Amino acid sequence: MTIAEALSEGLQVTVVGLAIVFGVLIILMLVLMAFKTIFYKEPEKAAEALPNAESIALPAAKAEPEAKPADDGELIAVLTAAVAASLSTSTYHLNIKSYRRVGNEAPVWNQAGLEDVINSTY
Amino acid sequence: MLDAFSSFLGSSGIAALINNMMSAASSGKNFLEIIGTPLMIAIACLLLYLAIVKKFEPLLLLPIAFGVLLTNLPMFQNSSAILMHTEFFTDPQYMIDGHLDMQRIFAEGGLLDLLYLGVKLGIYPPLIFLGIGIMTDFGPLIANPKSILLGAAAQFGVFITFLGALAMGALIPSIGFGVNEAASTGIIGGADGPTAIYVTKTLAPALLPAIAIAAYSYMALIPVIQPPIMKLMTTKEERSIVMEQLRPVSRTERILFPIIVTIVVALIVPDAVALVGMLMLGNLIKESGVADRLAKTAQNGLMNTITIFLGLTVGATAKAETFLTPATLGIVLLGLIAFCFSTAGGLLLGKIMCKLTGGKVNPLIGSAGVSAVPMAARVSQQVGQKENPSNFLLMHAMGPNVAGVIGSAVAAGVFLAMFA
Repeated sequence: MTIAEALSEGLQVTVVGLAIVFGVLIILMLVLMAFKTIFYKEPEKAAEALPNAESIALPAAKAEPEAKPADDGELIAVLTAAVAASLSTSTYHLNIKSYRRVGNEAPVWNQAGLEDVINSTY
Repeated sequence: MLDAFSSFLGSSGIAALINNMMSAASSGKNFLEIIGTPLMIAIACLLLYLAIVKKFEPLLLLPIAFGVLLTNLPMFQNSSAILMHTEFFTDPQYMIDGHLDMQRIFAEGGLLDLLYLGVKLGIYPPLIFLGIGIMTDFGPLIANPKSILLGAAAQFGVFITFLGALAMGALIPSIGFGVNEAASTGIIGGADGPTAIYVTKTLAPALLPAIAIAAYSYMALIPVIQPPIMKLMTTKEERSIVMEQLRPVSRTERILFPIIVTIVVALIVPDAVALVGMLMLGNLIKESGVADRLAKTAQNGLMNTITIFLGLTVGATAKAETFLTPATLGIVLLGLIAFCFSTAGGLLLGKIMCKLTGGKVNPLIGSAGVSAVPMAARVSQQVGQKENPSNFLLMHAMGPNVAGVIGSAVAAGVFLAMFA
């Protein structure tokens, strides 16, 4: 095989091969796009409902406001995940706008009991 | 007693080593062939070092390296202690009409010959894909269908390398690259070990060890190979693009996806079904949630067992006479080119998608289209985070990443359909 033959055969295979790979994956892409229209509803309701849930979940005690605007993406990610887990929903529906540390005013016996339960479970 | 001792010495490995080197030297073979055995043992030790100390994909490279060691231990010809007879699988002299001589393999084969049947008959790679399917989450892909195209673009390197290997074969005839060898070399660019093995065992079995070792080593080197290309091809602004959060994906979609993929792939590229079908079966076992026990076995016990057999026997095909050739050097070089072009192909389409969507797509996720899961996606995440520490690209990059697995299996199917 000369180099010209090799390249012309190789180019044919390349064009056909890439076309097939793209063809298969484009079909799958169209299927997935159809999935979105068939199965997925925009979470209008959820978006409205969940801010309430958030404010219900957190109102307990008095606040010690903490303004840390800067670099706490990680903390927000953890908080979002925690809220999502306790509400058994997806983080997609949640948008944490603010957070504050809540003072712990539970009676000391309650705290001791809570610790006891946690220690015995894990 | 002295007689017994000397006859024992005569059958020892030392005697075999000396005997083999002397007979090679006297029959006028070249220097590489004379020192083949010790050199291959040294190469095996180097690979063991890379696996154990440098942690290059140790789960596979460790058994591969030990397979290289086992198969190159000095033995007399026709010794019953020989574990692996590569000639049974590659040399037409030992075959019947081009098919394996099963009688001979069962009667005379060593341990590794019998285990190697699982590679040769195409059993291990699909079973590995079953386990990979269980560990794969197609959620990010279903949520962002466009990212599947990046998995296709990253197969660019496969075909470029195919071209390169053909050209190399034409320029340097002694390297012996025809279309089959070129296809097997190109598939390294898919960055998918089982796929590369599956193609090579059919098209160019003699190149199997070199291709498997190159594929797995470069996969381990992805965090070194990809970032410079990614930085070269993207601007700072593009790298710091924050992408929209992915939508949640329902269970119904997760269950339907593997079924539909299997059917679509079978309709177009039947040769890819062994790989894609098993991948999707594994995924369906997980997503259906009704067969937890099967999922546990297939992704742990079964997959680990197969990994040991696969690594060991692929390594064991690396006999000095087939491994110490110019072809191996060519494969090592072309393999690197394949990875680079696959990365570039993904990035290029990533950039185009970035332009078309008005800057909603971070082109860095394109490089994750090479299918090394999840390494390539992690690299996208790390490079993105360097520009913008609060940017989390990982889930966005997982879409192209798992699409790359499907893409490279389809590319493999194309090669098999054309050349097998």
